[in-house]
Amino acid sequence: MKPTSLTIRSYQVGFGDAFLLSFAYPDVPRHVLVDFGSTALPPDAPANRMVEVANDVVKVCNGERLTAVVATHRHKDHISGFATNKDQNASGNIIAGLKPRLVLQPWTEDPNLDPKATGPGAIPVDDSKRALRVASLKGMHEVAGAMLREVENSKFLSDSVKAQLNFLGDDNISNRPAVENLMAMGPNNYLNFGEKSGLEDLLPGVETIVLGPPNVDQSETVLKQRSKDENEFWHLRALTAQAAVERGSDPASSLFDQSYVESSGGGYPEDARWLIYRARKMQESQMLGIVRALDKSMNNTSLILLFRIGDKSLLFPGDAQIENWAYALSRPDVRDMLAKVDVYKVGHHGSLNATPKSLWNLFEKRATEKGAPKLLASLMSTMMGKHGSVESKTEVPRATLTEALREETDLLSTHDVPASTLYVEKVIQF
Amino acid sequence: MQRTTGQLRIIAQDPGLRDSTGNILTTIVDLPAEQLRPGPTGYRVKIIDYDVSTDTLYKEADIGSGVNQSYPDLYKGASNDTLLGDPRFHAQNVYAIIMRTLARFEQALGRRVKWGCDGHQLHVAPHAFAQANAFYSRQDRGLFFGYFTSPTGKTIFTCLSHDVVAHETTHAILDGLRGRFMEPSSPDQAAFHEGFADVVAMLSIFSLRDVVEGLLDIATAGEDLVDPSLLTTEALKESTLLGLAEEMGGALEGVRGQALRRSIKLDPKWENADAPEFEEEHRRGELIVAAMLNAFLDIWVKRIDKIGTIEIKTIGPDGVEHVERKKDRDLVAEAGAKVAAHLLTMAIRAIDYCPPVDLSFSDFLSALLTVDREVTPDDDRYGYRDVLLYWFRKFRIPKAHGSGRDGTWKRCEAELTYARTHFESLLRDEGEVFRFLWENREKLSIDERGYMEVQSVQPCTRIGPDGFALRETVGEYIQILTLTAEEFAKIGIGMPSDIEPDKVIRIYGGGALIFDEYGQLKYQIARHLARSPHDLERQSRRIQYLWDNGRLDDIEDGTSRLAALHLARAGVQGALS
Repeated sequence: MKPTSLTIRSYQVGFGDAFLLSFAYPDVPRHVLVDFGSTALPPDAPANRMVEVANDVVKVCNGERLTAVVATHRHKDHISGFATNKDQNASGNIIAGLKPRLVLQPWTEDPNLDPKATGPGAIPVDDSKRALRVASLKGMHEVAGAMLREVENSKFLSDSVKAQLNFLGDDNISNRPAVENLMAMGPNNYLNFGEKSGLEDLLPGVETIVLGPPNVDQSETVLKQRSKDENEFWHLRALTAQAAVERGSDPASSLFDQSYVESSGGGYPEDARWLIYRARKMQESQMLGIVRALDKSMNNTSLILLFRIGDKSLLFPGDAQIENWAYALSRPDVRDMLAKVDVYKVGHHGSLNATPKSLWNLFEKRATEKGAPKLLASLMSTMMGKHGSVESKTEVPRATLTEALREETDLLSTHDVPASTLYVEKVIQF
Repeated sequence: MQRTTGQLRIIAQDPGLRDSTGNILTTIVDLPAEQLRPGPTGYRVKIIDYDVSTDTLYKEADIGSGVNQSYPDLYKGASNDTLLGDPRFHAQNVYAIIMRTLARFEQALGRRVKWGCDGHQLHVAPHAFAQANAFYSRQDRGLFFGYFTSPTGKTIFTCLSHDVVAHETTHAILDGLRGRFMEPSSPDQAAFHEGFADVVAMLSIFSLRDVVEGLLDIATAGEDLVDPSLLTTEALKESTLLGLAEEMGGALEGVRGQALRRSIKLDPKWENADAPEFEEEHRRGELIVAAMLNAFLDIWVKRIDKIGTIEIKTIGPDGVEHVERKKDRDLVAEAGAKVAAHLLTMAIRAIDYCPPVDLSFSDFLSALLTVDREVTPDDDRYGYRDVLLYWFRKFRIPKAHGSGRDGTWKRCEAELTYARTHFESLLRDEGEVFRFLWENREKLSIDERGYMEVQSVQPCTRIGPDGFALRETVGEYIQILTLTAEEFAKIGIGMPSDIEPDKVIRIYGGGALIFDEYGQLKYQIARHLARSPHDLERQSRRIQYLWDNGRLDDIEDGTSRLAALHLARAGVQGALS
């Protein structure tokens, strides 16, 4: 049995991703929800937008169970919709009610790798490379959390830096209710490059190929990263951030005896002011640097899925950036597959880094000549003015990429969709 | 009488290195004497102890004057708690190590050196922020040392780690000597700042006798006489290099991950130094560190071999006479400190003999060898040049393109015109050197295209091991050519296949000029713009590398890159992309 058509709903969730893939079959349709999260709804959208989306998914399923849920990675803008509440009426409760037959997540979400001990200073019992990687993600959450508290207490961070730190910090703190719901709502497969997805029987006629994330060994063959170093780095960051927060609230835990303090919180001698000014500016950029590094690291845990139905193929890479892509792109067989992609879910809401040049250049169906037919369709779920900055050429979506997407592909961007519209559709016939 | 040299107490390596009674090992170091303002603030360094994480300014250290009397030794016999808990000692420690490092450079180069940033006084914040990082920032004109919390809950101060302070100081000095080394170019150039700073840091520490003795004592239980079996290359690697690596616990791990420790451990896999991981800029620097430290060990062992043995006769219970041959611990340690100091001098002087743009590790090797040949023309007893060649080759660093058979730079043999330049001006006037270059451009293979500027001319006096002075004048010129990709392709520079033809690209050339004491050009160590096939190939490789890494358009202020490089070395994925 093979699907006869596919309808993709891109939900208008502002800065976030939520796609519902509905495969029509001769018997019953099957539905896959790829990501469901938002860090910022469009200003004019109703506050209960996520519940609206969940209810729409229920409507589409029409009494059937959801075939599968894919949570590409644990960023808020990809999983916040899965969060539950006590009253059992949050969007996450509604989705859980659809009893997905399978939940797909990257291997980094495997609870068996989670360091059991909690809190800063905890050393994971399991020191395998996989566990260390997971521990470092945990450290990143802690750093992000401590950073948010520091932003709150800081007297000198500029408003624009505060806004960026808050946005990135918020996206990177742990989202326990959503994570636990994903774990519990159905059987889970935690995947890395090359593994069977488990969708083979659930989606007949659809081949689901896992292109990322690479596991640690695969990753090391292309990147030579040392998981141990990275884990230790985030571990130390988390400890340090924690200690800094304690220091801020308790004079007894100050760095040096109070008798050594010349002044604190202002009234600085003129001689020291230049350096103080520079140090504060530098602190801003350091905090941004750290939070961006951890944001990227988290993006790079993204599950990359390639769906192939007949001669059509659809690429859903989450927010994967080059470090995640590198392993897949190093393989000629994968590059051949990617060349043929018909539908591309634009990575990371249109940021420049998530569509590496080496990937983009592979897509053969782009209209590279003026007037040529746009055989490649692209789906972008994004919102301007939330992430990055135009001055540093890091704005999301990046203007140059958006332009290329418009010129060379048939772009469907939620950015062009009014906030009142719940979703836009794309239909593919097989 | 006014003093020129003062002494201050510092922590020998870091608070982890203890003496036999558990006290933090301190030592006294020499540094230029001056009349300090509280801070301390001196003629090259201004310490401001502001912590941005807690928004706190700590009290200044008031050391006073070392000009009319020696500096007071305020922390003699201080407890570990005082050394760790008194921020004024931290300020003194940082000040002393920075000034000692600067003095080592000035002494080796035989002239004053500038910081890479504007201003004469480098700003230093010993407790800048609660973060496991320390760095030099050109635009902020200073060094910033963080502190962080270790897994055991202890606070680790990076400003108390000798190697971290020496490493960051070296960044500031190297940036002053060769400002273009921070430009995007090749993996070698990108990695050189880190590798060189580690080399200087390690050799600075090993040139302290107290440290070498301290490390030896751990292996020999503090005996005055050492069994020669503990003095082989392998045994010394174990006791001193690895010993130091073990001591370099907290601060390093937080700041640079395992990088320096790995360099010291000389992982056998390093035999495979052409593995792709060493193509990455944050790992590549480890190669020169490994080559230099292995050379250090080899030469040290050669020196130890020349130290006489002392025979100790004992009569055993069986009435048989036993003879043990041992070596004097002090002499062994002194030899190690001497070798480290000599190699450090060579490494520093080599910078003058490196091309100012598109540096490769091979260039650094040939520069090292040339420096040694200049001061000791008949290779000396310990064969420094052979040992260096051997170890660099072992780590896949061959002698440079354009060097002679022995790996040293070839002397300039062109018949040059000096008639219209004045000797006195040539020693200090950039304009005069430019005229000299321009008039001899054909013979010196200098491209007429593009922009050329003489960036510095400095006379120096270097002291050889025989005590005689070698007078040289060191000049530096750079060239810049800006064209489109298409235009570069036309002149034969291979371009990436997917580059836009109208993309504007900048390439660099330039050279170091060494004039002898009669004002004659002795060496022109140049990387030309686009003259020879080798130049074209180099430019093409550089453009391809930067294009692949998305850095072709980077305008480098050097600041963010160093901080990012440190993050990458600490293991943060993708910190550089």
